[in-house]
Formats: sequence, structure tokens, C-alpha cells
Amino acid sequence: MAHVKKSRCLLLDLLTRIVFIALAVSMIWAAPVQAASKDILKLGVLEEPKSLNLWLASDAWSNRVLSLMYQPLFIRDPKTSELIPWLAAEKPDFDAKTLTCTVKLRPAKWSDGTDITAEDVAFTGHMIYLFKMPRHYSKWKFVQKIEAVDKHTVRFVLSSPKAIFLTRTLTTPIVQKKQWAPLVKSLEGTTQSLQQFLQHEFKEPVVSGPFTVAKWKKGVFVYMKRNPHFFGQGQTIAGRKLGPHIKAIIFKIYGTADAAILALRKGDIDFYWNNIQAGYLKEIEDDPEIKIFKNKKSGLYYLGFNLRRAPMDDVAFRRAVATLIAKDFIIKRILQGHGEVLHSMIPPGNETFYNPNVPKHGFGLSREERIKAAYEILKKAGYTWGAPPVDASGKVQMAKDIKTPDHMPMRKITILTPPADYDPHRAMSGQMIQEWLREMGIPVVSRPMAFGALIQTVKTQRDFDCFILGYGKLSMDPGYLRAFFHSRMNKPKGWNMSGYDNPEFDKVSMASDGELDLKARQKLIFKMQDMLISDVPYIPLYNPIVVEGVRADRFTGWVPALGGIGNIWSLCEIKPK
Amino acid sequence: MLKFVLKRLTQVVVVLFLILTVLFVLFRLAPGDPVERMIDPDMTTQEAEHLVKELGLDQPIYTQYVIYLKNFMVGQFGHSIHYGDPVIEIIGERLPNTIMLFTTAVILAALVGISWGKIAAWSKGKGKDLAFTIAALVTHTLFLPWLALLLVWFFGYQLEWFPISGMVSEEVWLDPDATVFDKFWDVIYHMALPLLTLFLIHFGSYLLVMRSSMLSTLKEDYIITARAKGLSEKDIRNHHAAPNAMLPVVTSVGLSLAFSINGGALTETVFSWPGIGRELVFAVSHNDYPLAQACFLLIATVVLFSNVVVDVLYAYLDPRIRY
Repeated sequence: MAHVKKSRCLLLDLLTRIVFIALAVSMIWAAPVQAASKDILKLGVLEEPKSLNLWLASDAWSNRVLSLMYQPLFIRDPKTSELIPWLAAEKPDFDAKTLTCTVKLRPAKWSDGTDITAEDVAFTGHMIYLFKMPRHYSKWKFVQKIEAVDKHTVRFVLSSPKAIFLTRTLTTPIVQKKQWAPLVKSLEGTTQSLQQFLQHEFKEPVVSGPFTVAKWKKGVFVYMKRNPHFFGQGQTIAGRKLGPHIKAIIFKIYGTADAAILALRKGDIDFYWNNIQAGYLKEIEDDPEIKIFKNKKSGLYYLGFNLRRAPMDDVAFRRAVATLIAKDFIIKRILQGHGEVLHSMIPPGNETFYNPNVPKHGFGLSREERIKAAYEILKKAGYTWGAPPVDASGKVQMAKDIKTPDHMPMRKITILTPPADYDPHRAMSGQMIQEWLREMGIPVVSRPMAFGALIQTVKTQRDFDCFILGYGKLSMDPGYLRAFFHSRMNKPKGWNMSGYDNPEFDKVSMASDGELDLKARQKLIFKMQDMLISDVPYIPLYNPIVVEGVRADRFTGWVPALGGIGNIWSLCEIKPK
Repeated sequence: MLKFVLKRLTQVVVVLFLILTVLFVLFRLAPGDPVERMIDPDMTTQEAEHLVKELGLDQPIYTQYVIYLKNFMVGQFGHSIHYGDPVIEIIGERLPNTIMLFTTAVILAALVGISWGKIAAWSKGKGKDLAFTIAALVTHTLFLPWLALLLVWFFGYQLEWFPISGMVSEEVWLDPDATVFDKFWDVIYHMALPLLTLFLIHFGSYLLVMRSSMLSTLKEDYIITARAKGLSEKDIRNHHAAPNAMLPVVTSVGLSLAFSINGGALTETVFSWPGIGRELVFAVSHNDYPLAQACFLLIATVVLFSNVVVDVLYAYLDPRIRY
């Protein structure tokens, strides 16, 4: 009995010793393997891919992996952002009369060593059409016919001219018929075939890109090895001699930016593939082992109005609000200099379609000048105050008791923003705009709301006054202007969240949609931007700059592009130091 | 006893049914739409409706509820909307990671907490008591992410003793020559910091519960009797006072073990530990109904059954309790 009691007393002591010994042994046993391989690139990311089925996964994190696996016919040049042939051998031959487009493929192979053929391209299109593939079908539904003319020539016949055919349809990733056709066949005639299709994942995906997934330890890392059959290997495309010159890529998954940035500084990873927030930057910039890249991106962050409600239905009110917002202050103070002021709905990085001559409400004015300018706009439109923002001597003062042109006190206006933990920039911008509007006597409150709830309130219920939202990666094709502002999209769950209704805009946007001549389309898009900035359904605010960090001592040859150095060009060109 | 266990199990089934219903309703009321991400601006209303139908989300809510209950009865939890994988598969991948980390942490924290709580109560008012109580109060009230980041920064970044985050080193797991032994030590190595964080956060609560319970026990007549019998202080403390003070601690440890399967979203996030807690947060924030429902249901089931086990254990530990 005494022996048993003694054993119990020793249990705790023993367990504690075991834990400490285990940790000590693990330090000795496991730590030495941390040395990095010279030709393996380690990337830090915050989320793993959702799936390797490219038709299901669409988020930015999945795309980082999938964009290295499945390739399109055309791709953007990193320097000019223009479309250049990728799987295609040359520019598309488009016959505007017959609406026929012929594309020739370059000699290329799938990762299993078989040829990439026109049949694969045609099959991809048919598959998208058959399943009405989410996110892709709208880019393909106007393609009446796709045929493989010969092994390396594919012909598309359109039912109507569509500008997005070149920019969106021909940039769709192509999949191998041999691998996907049996799955498509097995699902024909079944109920909920799309659901079954999206849930399917191939154990060994056959790809055309520079890398393919060789091992995926869920939640921990994704190991991508070089595809020996990659068509770009040793080729010069867009004046760039492509590799890859590295053996493999490891995507390491971190739960927080703090951990990922510490890992970068420690040398656990070579590149943190995400924007580095301004708060971390000072420390990283002082670290000689880290090299920082700053690049523009195609983003749009904006304040939207609900034009279905007063006083947001009054263009004078919207213009006055636009005049009051000091966008340069938002860039300087909230984004800490890492962004550019937006004056149009198309960011300046999109050089083809950005209209630099749109009206710039209040740009370059001081705080007092803004208030005076906004006061003039509102006074002219019939707004009155108990105490106006500008007194009789012309001095700016805190305004009170604003009344609308019908002499009614202005109702309280709410600006909905995502919460600060989701996006501190948008939440703080809401707060600042609230303060600027209050100086004019406008009763406004900025209210953070969970992102899902915000989208539902604005898009589905349409029960809001103003909101601040944004797009981190806008398409380079400006077709989204039609989607966001055409009156046909003004419906519950529709993309015209503001309820903008301008028949002239509808007409021009439809014309731009079917315009295949770039110059002519550019003119129409410029006109649309003019209309939008003049009518102000949205106030474009800012476009953040992408800040990325790499280990200075590991790889060289990173390729800056719109959106940052995290792109297929970089991964095809970097070389170990 | 058997009658009691059967009665408690019946209650568990009823409560589980209620939880199933509440979960179903809650997720349908929550803002956000899982299909929203798949709808692009150029889709017509008919195309969007077709998509909803194809994904099986067009059924009336009561039909969805009946299907949901039927599926639950046969152990079918469906596929994750975002991953496309069966929910069971996702939970099966993540759950062992969580159990490994959190159960170890709870057991370790409980063993140390109980032992030190016992000593603190026995040395009431003396230096040891003060030191243990202050240590327990400080660590127990620390903000977990702050402590975790501090440990990562100090032990992971400055001293480089342990990895900054993650569960394994890819070098080991990609090495074809690595043995099971290598992989085992690699996981232990990665567990060090999250384990230390959880231990520091949790041991204080067990210590304080044990101390408080011991202090009440020490006032009991049987302790005076034991002293009168001339038993040694150590004997009285370990074999007379401590076993009787264990009851509240058993409840606490039992429930902690049960709740450990939900992991800790914060701990798992800071340490990039691929467990069920992180997955649960992802599922809720992305309206992944099937995955979130299954995760919550799993937690509810384990907690309910743990309660039954704790109740039974009570009778075993305290002969005065009879069911």
C-alpha cells in the first residue's frame, strides 16, 4: 500500500520530467533540419487553398497556387499590363464581320507529357457551358461555337460582339480533356451535377503551368514541384527568358501576419506573399536582410450612396460630400502614405482605360476651402442652416441644424463600414468622413458592421444610407462599370447597389460592352467615367499600394507588376543567389 | 446507478435534438449567403436561380430541416461549401491535432495546478501560498494572444529555441528518409510554445479551485481526527484532505477536457496550429453551414457526454453520493 502511495506522489514529478525531457530532446533532434535548401523557395501565406478544383476555388489564396498550375491562352505582360500570347502562339485573329476568332496554340505539353491541343481548349469551353460554371459562364455564354480546326488551331464563333471575349474569355485557364472528360461524362444526366462536379478533386492534377502540387499537408504547407514539361522553360516570352530556375515552392501557412513577418525576419520564409501593413513596415525597412517592393495595384475603395433615399438622391448633396472628403489626408494619415488618391472608378494603374481628366471634387483644397466650396454647392441647391458653416464675415465655423431644400431638418445618415479588425482603413475612413460631414452640420454616424451583414444589408436588403466598400483586385477589363451602374443591375442582390439610374449611361455602357475596337471602346469608357464622377453615385477614395517583403540574401530576379511581385513571372524568373 | 445513467442519456438525446434545431435555425438567420461568392455580376436572375438549385439550396427551409435531421441520423454531414470535401473528412484531419495539443495542455495544467493548489492551501498565509496564488492569478488573467506572441517573439525569434509557428517542419515531412521517430520529435518540437502558453493560462484556474476546495476540507472534523491519530502532515494532506477536495476540480477538468476538442481559435491562429478551432471560425465567418454545424454538433455531443461521465465519476469519488 505504501508503495502505491509513493508511486502516486511520483507520478506528477515523472510526468513533468517527461515533458521537459521530451521538449529538450525535440530541440536537439528536430532543430537542425531547419536549414533552407538553396533552390527551394519558401512562401508565407495566411490561408491555404480551399481546393485544387479550380472551378470551385476562387479566393485570392487558392489562386496563388492554382495560377501556377492551370494556364490560359493569354496573360498580362507584367510591364505593360497588355494581353500577350501565353498558351497561344500569337495574337488572336479576329474577323469582326463573321464574329470569328482564330487562335493558334504554341507547342506545349501537359505535366503528364501529352500535348496541349485545340481539343483541350474546346473541351474547356464546352464544359463551362454545360455546367453553367459559376464565375465563368457569363464570360463564355456568348460563344456560339468552338471548334478545333487542327491540333493547334481553335476557332471561336460569337453570337454577338463582346469586348470581354479577348480580355476575360481568352484568359480562362484551360484544363486537360483526357483528365476531365470522364468526370463530365459520369455526371451527365445526374441531378445536382454541378455540385458533384465542384466537389471532385483529382489526386494528381494534370497541369500546364510551371509548378504542380506534389504534397499538401492540410493547414500546414503545400509543396509544389517544378513541372518538367512546362512550355515556358527556356523560352523567351514578352522579352523575358523564363525558367523556373528553382526546384520547388513551399507555401507555409501562418495564422497571423505577426507570425509570418517574424518568420520572414528570422529566415524561415523567403517571401511573405501578402501586403505588409504600414504598422510593420518601419521595423522591416530597418532590417538589412529584407528587401521591400512597393507596387501599384488595381484596387478601388469607395464611398457609395443609396440614391433611392433623400438626401442622397440629390446630386448636389453627393457632390458636396465628395468635396468635403480630403482623400489626400486619408492616404497620408490612415494609409500612412501607402496608397494613391482615386478620382475615377478606374484606378490609374489601368493605363488603357483610366480617364485622367474626370472632374476632381475638392482636390487640392485646404480644409476651409473645402467647407466653403461645399457650402456654396449646398446653398445653391436650397439647403439652409440654423448656424451656417460660413458666417457673414466669410469665416468657417461649426455648422448646426442643416435643413433640406424642402425646409425639413436633415435626417440622420449612417455610413456602414466593415469593422476595424476586418479592414482598419475603411473603418477609420468612415470615422474621418463622419467628422468632416459634421463640420457642415450634416447629422451622420459611421457604423462598423460585420462584413457578411454589411453585404446583405447593402446588396440584398438595400436598407442603408451610405457604405464604404472596396475591391482589392479589380479586373483590368472595365466591364465592371456596366455591372455596377447599369439600371438593369438595380435589383435585390444586383450589383448596382447605389440604385444609379441614368439611361444615357446605360446606353453608353451597353455600347462599350459590344465594342471590339480598343480606341473606340476607350472613348466610351472615358465617357462613362465622366458621367459617374459627375453624378457621384460612388465617391472613389483610394487605391492602396502593395508592399511586399523578400529575403535579400536568397533569391534575385523578382518581377514587379501591377499587384506586386507575387506573380507567375517572378516565380518563373527568380534564381537562387 | 444504471437507472440514473439511462435517465441522463435520455436527457442528452433530447438536448442534442434541441441543439440540432437551434444550430439549424441560427445559421439560416445569420447574415450572409454562401452562394454570393459564386454569383458574378453578369449572371442573369435565372442563371443565379439555377446555381442555387444545383447547389441544393433552393428547397424550402422546412424541407432543408427534415433533410438535415435525416442526414444526421445516418451520420451524413454533407460537404463543405468552400472546400468541397466531406465535412467528416475535414474534421477528421483537424480534430486529432486539436486533441493532441489541448488535451495534453489540460492534463499537464491540471496535474500541476492540483498539486500546487494542494501545497498552497496547506501553507495558507505563508510564502509558498502567496507565490503560488499570485502566479496563478497573474497567468490566469493574461490575455492569451498577447502571452502567445510574447513567447513566440522571445523563444522563437530572439532565442531561436523553438519554431515560430506551425505543427511540423516541411523539411522533415518531405524527406523520404525521415523516420516516424523523426516526425514524432518534430511535432513535439512544434508543440512546445503552444503547450507552454496553454499551460500558463490554464494551470492557475485549477490551482485556485483546488486551493479553495482544500481550505474548506481542512476545516472538516475528519482532518482533526486524523491529526489526533498522530498521522504525519504529508499523509493528512495527500491522503485525507486532497481526495476529498478533488470533487470541484474533477468537474472543472472534465469539462475542460470536453471543451478542449473545440480547440482555441486564438491559440490555433497565433501558432498556426491546424486544428478544429481555426476551422470553426473559418466556417462561421464564411457561412459554410455544413462544416460549422458539424463542428458545433461535435462539441455539443462531447460536452454533453462528458457531463454524464463527470456525474458518474462523482459517485465513484465520493461514496456519500448515491444516484
